[in-house]
Amino acid sequence: MQATAQTAKPASTTEGGTSRVAVRLALALVFFFALDALVFRTGWYARLLNPDSTAGFLQTYLWIEQQRPMNYPRQALAVGDSRMGVKARMANALTPETRLRFGTIAVPGTTPRCWYYMLRELDPDADRYAAIVIGLDTYDDRGFENLNDRELDINYLTPLVGFADFVPFVSSYQSWPARIHAAEAILFKGLAYQRDFQDLLARRHTRLEVARINHESAHEWFYNAVWERRSLAGMSVDWNAHKLSLPDWVDAQHRSIAENLLLNDPPAYFDQFARYRRRWLGAILDRYRGSRTKIIFLQLPRGPVVRPNLTTDRTSSIREFAAHGKALLMDEHKFDSLERPELFGDVQHLNEAGGLQFTTMVAEEVSRMVGLAEGNR
Amino acid sequence: MLFHTPQFFLFLVVVLLLFYTAPRAWRRWILLAASYFFYMCWNAKFILLIIVLTAIDFTAGIWLARLAAGRKRKAALIMSLSANLGFLGFFKYYNFMAANVATLLGMPIHAFALNIILPMGISFHTFQSMSYVIDVYRGEQQPITDPVDYALYISFFPQLVAGPIVRARHFFADLYHWRAPDSQEQLRGVLLVVFGLLKKLAIADQFARLADQFFSKPAAYPGWLAAWSGVVAFSIQIFFDFSGYTDMAIGLAQLLGFHFPDNFRRPYLSRGITEFWRRWHISLSTWLRDYLYIPLGGNRHGRWQTYRNLMLTMLLGGLWHGASWNFVIWGGYHGALLSFERALGIKDDRRAWRLVDPLRAALTFALVSISWVFFRAATLRDSITVLGRLFSGPHGHIIWPHWMLWYAVLALLLAAWEERSGWFERLPDAPAWAYAAAIALCLFCLELIGFTDHAVPFVYFQF
Repeated sequence: MQATAQTAKPASTTEGGTSRVAVRLALALVFFFALDALVFRTGWYARLLNPDSTAGFLQTYLWIEQQRPMNYPRQALAVGDSRMGVKARMANALTPETRLRFGTIAVPGTTPRCWYYMLRELDPDADRYAAIVIGLDTYDDRGFENLNDRELDINYLTPLVGFADFVPFVSSYQSWPARIHAAEAILFKGLAYQRDFQDLLARRHTRLEVARINHESAHEWFYNAVWERRSLAGMSVDWNAHKLSLPDWVDAQHRSIAENLLLNDPPAYFDQFARYRRRWLGAILDRYRGSRTKIIFLQLPRGPVVRPNLTTDRTSSIREFAAHGKALLMDEHKFDSLERPELFGDVQHLNEAGGLQFTTMVAEEVSRMVGLAEGNR
Repeated sequence: MLFHTPQFFLFLVVVLLLFYTAPRAWRRWILLAASYFFYMCWNAKFILLIIVLTAIDFTAGIWLARLAAGRKRKAALIMSLSANLGFLGFFKYYNFMAANVATLLGMPIHAFALNIILPMGISFHTFQSMSYVIDVYRGEQQPITDPVDYALYISFFPQLVAGPIVRARHFFADLYHWRAPDSQEQLRGVLLVVFGLLKKLAIADQFARLADQFFSKPAAYPGWLAAWSGVVAFSIQIFFDFSGYTDMAIGLAQLLGFHFPDNFRRPYLSRGITEFWRRWHISLSTWLRDYLYIPLGGNRHGRWQTYRNLMLTMLLGGLWHGASWNFVIWGGYHGALLSFERALGIKDDRRAWRLVDPLRAALTFALVSISWVFFRAATLRDSITVLGRLFSGPHGHIIWPHWMLWYAVLALLLAAWEERSGWFERLPDAPAWAYAAAIALCLFCLELIGFTDHAVPFVYFQF
């Protein structure tokens, strides 16, 4: 070997050689995505998800609603987060009067972005329901969290978003880390399910049994769920002194949550929140435009006590939807009478007595509004 | 910037694009700049160390070629080796020696300690540099006259931090007769990178969790089954970690038109320790053979001299890995086993497998696994504790999840199949669908089982 010799003229890679490599690598990607799709995009794996995981939890709700008999002509669906306390069993006891059968996909921790994809999954032809009732904490465009970048939504929605959702779903996030996370959830399902899959490998007998039991009997515990029977009767808030007094039975964790929610004053999002709502609630309304389904918004009971000075005179995307005839609104003060400590089990959620009243009021009002809308047609 | 991070793959894409689109004359510069950048991503200041060592050995090479045989020539060699070993000794062994001196003098162990950072890859590039100078001295290597070429040899990023230790003649043959990789080489390169990534993320890092769990608190896992499962988890981790890195290094080099020798040949299928060292970290074991064992006399001066040479070589090989008594014992243990096999007349077995060979392989694996205890345990006291647990007490429970047992069995079957049929090396020539399916399956396994919570450093990066 001559150290001083210069680099010899290379035998360049032939075009045929390069294309041979390119073809094989392209084919490898096709195989990879086909394998990924076979396992994770056929709905097969979604049925095995751990029901305690975020995605598995949401899948269980959707599964229950998908399996619910639809043999009654007028179906209504309650949509929202955990505060949307419509209990289907109670609402359906009123069917002779309301002429509606209720289902619910009020999944704790979900947001309008989740609701859009959940409804799309449940009702692909937008003709399943006479009414969809969506519970919102306020009609005002005032939020306390930047929902645009909420990565928890990705965990919920991984089984529901596909290649066609890539641009709208990924671009709905504002930060690049969140966008990358969202893109991963669409492109690489296996990566998104990695923890769940490894848990399945580690506890496969238990997991398969849990999945079987979940599919056989989840609807029973779901419809017969026991509510919190205790109440916050006796609670009081001194807004000036920033002091909260709760009944003795409330544990430390719930006290901390209550103090955080009632006594802290986090910065509110207004315009950003309005854009978010227009985007995702608007998308739901667009899906049902021209269909027989009435989209009804309701303002949830705000809590056992109401924070003073929260109302705003800013624009409301919800009221705009109603003004343009895209949605129906329940009277925003409809549930003011429920905003009492004795009807709440914690500072956010109604207890059994509150839920019973709320469900009855919702069922009757939805029946009235649907009837009215159908009569006006 | 570790090989298994997205940042590295971004870096790689940029380097490949620049390398293949730039005029030929710029390519060495591009690779050198990329290699220095790669090193500086770890610690920019230490690039000076690489540059100084490069300058010393580059000059020594030219000087040695100009001097006639004699004292001056020997002095030039000694000066170069002293510089290399001096730097290595200071950065790697100063604190170890200082602690031992302090202990001997009855002083606190940190009495003479300095806050020294171990430069990344110093053991590897020092050995590589030394082999060049020794080869020039022996007349087996022409001196390199272009400093850029020599700097690239020392710092070439695919093998800078953890080898393989490439001999100068191989590297410069590729550099001076460079040709673009043909399609088969490109396919092999991609396959090695993907397969290396799979070994690292989907196997080594999974077993690392078990090994870390056990070695961090051996007392929490009573019973010899627990101890063996913790130790075997580390055996699996270290092999797949290091060979995964090496596969990636070889694959990356191949994509750039360089051909690195194999560093592993299914070592856990060895039927003896002698055979194990023919298959494990081959670039180091051949370096030790060529530059230490043979110059010491090898097996040419009788039985006892051979045992002494084996012991010395392995003790220094152990010390090369790290500055602690654990590594010295690890090397001594292997030296003793090699001497024992030689005494029994057990030779490097290259014959086809016989009925008894699975048992021999299992015994070899067990012996090697025992040696890894010294490699992995934090202190000598921990090593002794774990060794005690391997051979005493109640049986306890295997600490592996059930599926990982099957996972290990699958890896063993694939290795046995490769040993028998060489399926891996034949894949680039396989029909397009078979090659594509293999890559797709690797990617799918990476997606599902790859450990992506955080980047676990390669075990050999600490050496």
